[in-house]
Amino acid sequence: MHAEKQHHDFEPKLVAFVCTWCTYAGADLAGTSRMHYPSNVRVVKFPCTGRIDPVFILRAFQKGADGVLVSGCHPGDCHYMAGNFHARRRFAAFRQLLDFVGVDLNRLQFSWVSAAEGGKWVDVVSELTERVRELGPMREFRELDAEEHWSAQLNEPELKEAYHTI
Amino acid sequence: MTENNVTTPIIDPACYAAATAAIRAEALRLLEAGEVTAVVGYRAGRRAGTAMPEVAVTAETAAQLIFSPGCQNNLALFLSKAKRDALPKGKVAIVVKGCDLRALAGLIGESQLKREEVHVIGVACPGVYGAPADTSKPLSVESIARKCRECKVHLPEGVDLVAGTLPPLPDLSPLEAEELARLEAMTPQQRWAFWTEQFSRCIRCLACRQVCPFCFCTQCLCDRNRPQAVDTSPRPAGNTAWHIVRAMHLAGRCSGCAECERVCPMDIPLNLLNRKMAKELFELYGFEVEMQPQEQTPLTSYRDNDDQSFIK
Repeated sequence: MHAEKQHHDFEPKLVAFVCTWCTYAGADLAGTSRMHYPSNVRVVKFPCTGRIDPVFILRAFQKGADGVLVSGCHPGDCHYMAGNFHARRRFAAFRQLLDFVGVDLNRLQFSWVSAAEGGKWVDVVSELTERVRELGPMREFRELDAEEHWSAQLNEPELKEAYHTI
Repeated sequence: MTENNVTTPIIDPACYAAATAAIRAEALRLLEAGEVTAVVGYRAGRRAGTAMPEVAVTAETAAQLIFSPGCQNNLALFLSKAKRDALPKGKVAIVVKGCDLRALAGLIGESQLKREEVHVIGVACPGVYGAPADTSKPLSVESIARKCRECKVHLPEGVDLVAGTLPPLPDLSPLEAEELARLEAMTPQQRWAFWTEQFSRCIRCLACRQVCPFCFCTQCLCDRNRPQAVDTSPRPAGNTAWHIVRAMHLAGRCSGCAECERVCPMDIPLNLLNRKMAKELFELYGFEVEMQPQEQTPLTSYRDNDDQSFIK
């Protein structure tokens, strides 16, 4: 039975950076098992969490993501032996840096989801979606991106004012 | 404490003269014995009290080497593989302060050079000028660099020669640690406002990258397009990304020489980001940048039982 679809004022955009061996397979399992989870998440597949550069997370936020999920194999299960161990340290440092710059860490979630944990994938995605929905749109990075971008409209009031003051 | 009387000299100028004499004698000896092909050090700049880098290859130039509060540059910069070509081939000697020595040790740890390829002349450094300082007057509470106020590496260790001796040092308040604590106590929104304002001034001259001993990549990630990771124009979005990426790439490597902050024409407190990362990595993994080369930095190594309380 399909649960009745709820309508919300705000549908957050989530980007999930996942490793191909565990979390991607886990998400696949969730799909083939016909489990339901929010369609707000866009999955981007990487060979390993060790391949996920912090700059990807920044870029996702700048290009309009309201939340980012990074997910990979449990420690010890990495297909490349140690990729997720390195990623764990890198992200531990990176989230402290983001916090220091003033980014709300509630929008950034890390998780270990194995290929057998379709249910955990559903939980993680649903929880992050609900949390980000309550936080509302990620304004900070988008405002930065919009700042000093000229719309290229010649009849902009701002441009007119600048013209008249010269 | 002499905080009220801001122009009083806080360090006996004689100690700089003693270091200068020791550097000159060692440079002359090394060059004459043919032990090194060049001595990388400082010479007096044109304006009173300033200094600039000098690569001494002859006895005459070696006799001009100095150490003064104006010797702010981190000379370890010249020893990374990318910039090594600017120096004569063969073994070179280098004059380093404690903070520069940490950078040199970092470069050795990252296989940019070998310890036996360099003769290290360490300086017992009581402190240098900060960025906007009147260099014609002796070092005062007002003109001393912020990094020197809480320096833990006045006396270099593991060097081939220590030039000079340390005079009694004044007790100064740690301005940078106080500023860091002030920022940490803010709410994320306040911090975002603070950093947005700081980064919006950035003109992307990339002086911070140019002067950093650890920014030695031949192709910087931030210069690349296809795919473009960081917007290259001096706009707020790209500036924020650039400074975050810079701090992240220096995490666990930065020697705290604060050259990035000194050369910044827009006075962005870049060393705060570096110090924050150093502090976090110490708290998380007990790692500190040292004056001896270390095999691994915290972000190139791991332990099975690292903290993962933030991961679901």
